[in-house]
Amino acid sequence: MKKLVSLLLALALVLSLVSVSAMAEGQELLTIDVYDDAANYNGIQTGWFAKVIKDRFNIELNIIASQVVGNTIYATRSEEGNLGDIIVVDKAKFPEIVEAGLAKDISDKLPACENIMQFKTQIDVYNKGLTGEEGKYYGIPTEMTDTAPDTLTDDVIYSSPMLRWDLYKEIGAPKLENLDDLLAALEKIHEIHPTNDDGDPAYPFTLWADWDGNDNMIGIANVVQLTTWYGEKLKGSAMLKPDYTFSPLYDRANAYYTITKFLNKAYQKGLVDPDSGTQNWDNVSAKLSSGRADVMWYSWETGFWNSVDRLNAGNAFIFIPVADQNYYADADRYYGSDRMFGIGSGVEGEKYDRIMAFLDWYASPEGATFQHDGIEGLNYIVENGKFVPYKDNALMDNLPVPEEYGGGGYSDGNNAINQWIVSSICVNPVTGERFAQKYWQSYKDMTMTEMKKEWQAMFDAEDSVDWMKKNGKLLASPSVDFTPAADNNDIIALRSEINAKLCEYTWNLIMSCDTDDAFEAMWDEMVAELDGLGYNDLFEYDCGVWQPEVDAKKAAIGM
Amino acid sequence: MTKKKRSYLEFLYVLPFLVLVALMSYYPLYGWIYAFHDYMPPKPISSETYVGLKWFQYIISNPVRTADVIRVLVNTFAMSGISLAFSWFPMVFAVFLNEIHCKPYRKFVQTVTTLPNFISWVLVFSVAFNVLSSTGAVNAVLTELGVIEKPIAFLSSRDHVWFRMWLWLTWKNAGWAAIMYLAAISGIDEQMIEAAKVDGATRMQIIWRITIPCLLPTYFVIVMLNLANFLSNGMEQYYVFMNNFNKKSIEVLDLYVYNIATTGRGNYPLSTAISMLKSIVSVALLFITNTVSRLVRGEGFI
Repeated sequence: MKKLVSLLLALALVLSLVSVSAMAEGQELLTIDVYDDAANYNGIQTGWFAKVIKDRFNIELNIIASQVVGNTIYATRSEEGNLGDIIVVDKAKFPEIVEAGLAKDISDKLPACENIMQFKTQIDVYNKGLTGEEGKYYGIPTEMTDTAPDTLTDDVIYSSPMLRWDLYKEIGAPKLENLDDLLAALEKIHEIHPTNDDGDPAYPFTLWADWDGNDNMIGIANVVQLTTWYGEKLKGSAMLKPDYTFSPLYDRANAYYTITKFLNKAYQKGLVDPDSGTQNWDNVSAKLSSGRADVMWYSWETGFWNSVDRLNAGNAFIFIPVADQNYYADADRYYGSDRMFGIGSGVEGEKYDRIMAFLDWYASPEGATFQHDGIEGLNYIVENGKFVPYKDNALMDNLPVPEEYGGGGYSDGNNAINQWIVSSICVNPVTGERFAQKYWQSYKDMTMTEMKKEWQAMFDAEDSVDWMKKNGKLLASPSVDFTPAADNNDIIALRSEINAKLCEYTWNLIMSCDTDDAFEAMWDEMVAELDGLGYNDLFEYDCGVWQPEVDAKKAAIGM
Repeated sequence: MTKKKRSYLEFLYVLPFLVLVALMSYYPLYGWIYAFHDYMPPKPISSETYVGLKWFQYIISNPVRTADVIRVLVNTFAMSGISLAFSWFPMVFAVFLNEIHCKPYRKFVQTVTTLPNFISWVLVFSVAFNVLSSTGAVNAVLTELGVIEKPIAFLSSRDHVWFRMWLWLTWKNAGWAAIMYLAAISGIDEQMIEAAKVDGATRMQIIWRITIPCLLPTYFVIVMLNLANFLSNGMEQYYVFMNNFNKKSIEVLDLYVYNIATTGRGNYPLSTAISMLKSIVSVALLFITNTVSRLVRGEGFI
């Protein structure tokens, strides 16, 4: 008996050793350095997404996040000659990375990656523009769509005025002709809704300052975003008008003036949160979630308030048209967004194969489902081959993930690369529906509430984009393949000076001017200072940089 | 052993420290080379990128920019000046602290005043934000009492920024700075004080005639050390308290360098050039103080 037990034990030991070595024999654990401009997390990927990758490829990701550790990491790592094994960078940097020999020529392996090559058209266009040669590949664009360059798939555009439906109805659902009407409506809303349910003060506008000057656009981010309501789009320091001409940002005929003036009027009437200039986005997101703001203008902002319950209760945010506005929207990013994937020039041999295999999976339906939809049984369930939303607060509340995914919080273990090859509006071949939840039939059925029906009846349209199209108020700008030239040191310094000055003045224009005269005087002072710093040089420079993109867009719409 | 040989051997005692200073203080000066190049990562510097004094000229090439630099220098000098003008405050605080005879109470005061030194500026600001923002405790109480109708913009106003910054700095640092003086006070010869007491000196007379004069050498050393840092009066404090409304008055040199040269993609040559200028001015200030000290007190520090 004793012998048998020891024999069994020995057998078990041998078996376990065999199974361990079998795994190691296949492929050793490989740690991949991912240099990543998109990531908000620095370090080894943990949690459920780490397990998903490890189970499939025996790979772990070491994320090097420039946004977390600071931009200098880019300088340091390029001095060392090795940015990372996988490189995710801003599109403007990619040409110089290739030129400096930091990115690998992947022409030999990329054509064999079936999932990535479903976007062959876009990848060919980009790389030809980069190298001038056919069939030579360095970079893979990000978030490419399977639609067309001039299609607009969204049902809500990136920025439009959105009010709370219950409050809007309570003030009599007035028809809004222009910004003055909007201001009058907001004044009434503020009267009936001076605080949230907890008694904390609520304001129509609560602004934030920590995004100012982001994305290479000068000025207050909030104001810049609102200029798209009048069909204008800021390119660096130059305002692109609806007729595809450039105009200086500070021109009084431009929307930057219109919106700044509008916000100042709102401030004079006490409709702007006094904390606006001193708070950051974190403070604001908390206010949005607790009902302390009456206006939203980014489509994704509604995620902080709208829920299925609130849509049913009729107190969710929804687009309210202002008749004199003409909304600018980017069409589907067919040619990809503003970042690029590349492979580090030092990657060779087996490592190279495994990285390419991983990236191809990353662009596969399974990979994209994990990235856009999360985990089956947690974020969604499958009914009759279609996805149905399940726990849609998994990310917000960091819900625990199932044991088979290694446990831990969902948000903690989410994909830290934070950048995708496949856009969420691509169709998932498994379900035949788009990856993004808001396009699922199941989701649409869930959110077809009384409120939505009332809105449709009042504005005689399916959704906000439908209203804009029907009324000729939509300026959809087609997607083109374009990489703006990288700024040189002189322009970098000039841009940051001009931006600092412009932001400082704009905040004071909005929140320190008690009369219209004071506002106009300060505006003149600002223009003089900006001119003195050399605004015109920057304007000329930006016009030159962006003109090719404008030309391509004009060509795309046959102008 | 000859005297000469011994002195060589003794030199070895300081060698580790010399190596450390060379590595930590002199080697980084090599980085100054970037001020003379049009450096832009990922391209390394080479003879092609050499641009001479371009970035130094850049600072004075435009009247608006020059006015900005002057404004920033005025802020820097003003706020450093206020700190300097009130630099006797921790000393007096230490003297009075020393006069408290109830030991537990003295320890309590000392602990409470020293503690803020260990709180980072970011946390100090979050305290300030919660207390002083438009919905913060102070405004809430004042509104509740009917004293004010509209919240007072404590944080976003330009009024008395320099003085308010000094208050925050003092709140954070006074207790810590007093430690040095407390140590110096304990080093004062008890016999002098006993003798003065026998001669009938009052408490204030002892402080004025004995304690303070004995503390003056320490005081001057600390002032001199502060003067060397006159231009680099720290940036965290002003960085966290800065917003677009008080920026004109709060932006100091370090913060200006940060704001202009490191936001966005970052301009390394310009930031290096400005920080070089700073080092030069600091060294000049140090020599001036030393000379003044030699003239006034008859002894220098260096």
